Amino acid sequence: MNLGPLSRITPQPVPQDDVVITHEDVDRAHDRVRVSAARAQRGAFSKFRLLWLLVGPGILVMLGENDGPSMISYAATGARFGIGFFIPFVILTFCMAIVVQEMTMRLGSATHRGHAELIFDRFGPFWGWFSMIDLGIGNFLTLITEFIAIRAGLGFFGVPPWAAVGSALVFLCLAVMMHRYWTWERTLLAIAVFNLVFVPVALLTHPNWHSVGSALVTWKPLPGGLTQDTLIIVLADIGATVTPWMLFFQQSATVDKGLTRKDIHLGRIDTVVGAALAATAAVATIIATAPLFAHHMTAENFQGAEFAQALQPLIGRFGAALFAIGIVEAGMVASVTISISSAYAFGEVARRPHSLNLPVAQGKAFYSVLFLCAATAGAIVLIPGLPLVYVVLLVNVVAVLAMPPALVFLFMLANDREVMGDLVSPRWANILATGVVVFLTLAGLLFGISVIAPNVFAFLGGK
Amino acid sequence: MPSKDKVHSAITSSDQKLVLSSLEPEQLAGLKKHLIPRRQLSGLEKFVMWSLRIYLLFMIVVVIYQVWASLH
Repeated sequence: MNLGPLSRITPQPVPQDDVVITHEDVDRAHDRVRVSAARAQRGAFSKFRLLWLLVGPGILVMLGENDGPSMISYAATGARFGIGFFIPFVILTFCMAIVVQEMTMRLGSATHRGHAELIFDRFGPFWGWFSMIDLGIGNFLTLITEFIAIRAGLGFFGVPPWAAVGSALVFLCLAVMMHRYWTWERTLLAIAVFNLVFVPVALLTHPNWHSVGSALVTWKPLPGGLTQDTLIIVLADIGATVTPWMLFFQQSATVDKGLTRKDIHLGRIDTVVGAALAATAAVATIIATAPLFAHHMTAENFQGAEFAQALQPLIGRFGAALFAIGIVEAGMVASVTISISSAYAFGEVARRPHSLNLPVAQGKAFYSVLFLCAATAGAIVLIPGLPLVYVVLLVNVVAVLAMPPALVFLFMLANDREVMGDLVSPRWANILATGVVVFLTLAGLLFGISVIAPNVFAFLGGK
Repeated sequence: MPSKDKVHSAITSSDQKLVLSSLEPEQLAGLKKHLIPRRQLSGLEKFVMWSLRIYLLFMIVVVIYQVWASLH
């Protein structure tokens, strides 16, 4: 057996008589046997098969983060600002997500421990609970917005709110009741690919490709300049791409999938492919709603489906229905990934079994947390009169504000030679990660200044 | 090899061999109960962590104020 970097600081040797083999181990071992077999063979097909076996957490976390509130934020961005600054800006945020998520994949592959578990063990319960409170509140608020998106998207097809929330909960049950990480991952990947329905919707609007190309090069125009509204959208778009739950989810999913240090290279490809797919869908959404900006239609109070209804005269019923389906898909996939992220973190901290390979009887606590979080969030969405789009944007803003403290834990763990061995972050990764922390902190502070002293922006040339 | 009474009832001996030959020891669910020793935080690390914690709390107050202001 290979010993990982943790062998230097965990009690060694571990008495083999103390080892309890579980179903979770057996399922993971079967997956690893297939990976080893693919790795042992030569040829392009075998390499592709190896990649196919190892992709998953990276694509899922990126497409999962293209969730209901994110797609609504991108839609609001296109409707308020059109094609311009925000297209290259959103691509930049996905580049930041790659830097951050690569570290979680490397941590999970090297240590075989979840993010919450490592924070508690290495930094102690004081900092661990801070981190858990951030994650718990953030995940719960985000889950509420996923159900808002599902309700709004299905509302386009005339589905009543209670039925929309109920069907989302049934979907969640079906998704996790497979008791097999591999089956769950492949099923969710197949559904998550529907995030790309925003691409045909964008094409139906017959976008001005010259404007898109010009925006990518010049980062202009930014209608209205730097204002508090612009900053909220900036923060919402950052929060639509990098959020704390992603750190916890990808590391735990990497561990649950059973990736090892040999798989890190392909884990990076998984993360980059996921970011590319998600960025494509995000940019497509901005382009899809840009005609609302061109037609001077106000979108301040739009929910996901209302964007679809507003677009209907421009792209037809089919295009509008695709848009609504995309919003529903985004909410459905993210409600699963975020619930699982909470359940993984709970299991890691409470030292209870936490794996999608667990039968219900062995993972009662894991599955209970998962369903309770989702059901409570779903129930809240049924409260009438909630200012839904405002809630959605605020949740993304809160996610951005919670990122710098979460990133510092990640940064320190990824540079902890005692747990990472020779897989500590290289200098270039540290420079990029520091840049991301500084950027997010400054963006948050700028937002704070805009709230406390809004006149500062008039001084800087905004409105 | 694991003692029989500690092996889960439905796990066969071939399963045990498969697990022990294909997983790294640290991947075994049972071994994850071992805690990883806590690290000592330097003064700079504590300063950064506390600063960001205060930053987050301050910004949450700002967000609450923003919500209150927009509702009035």
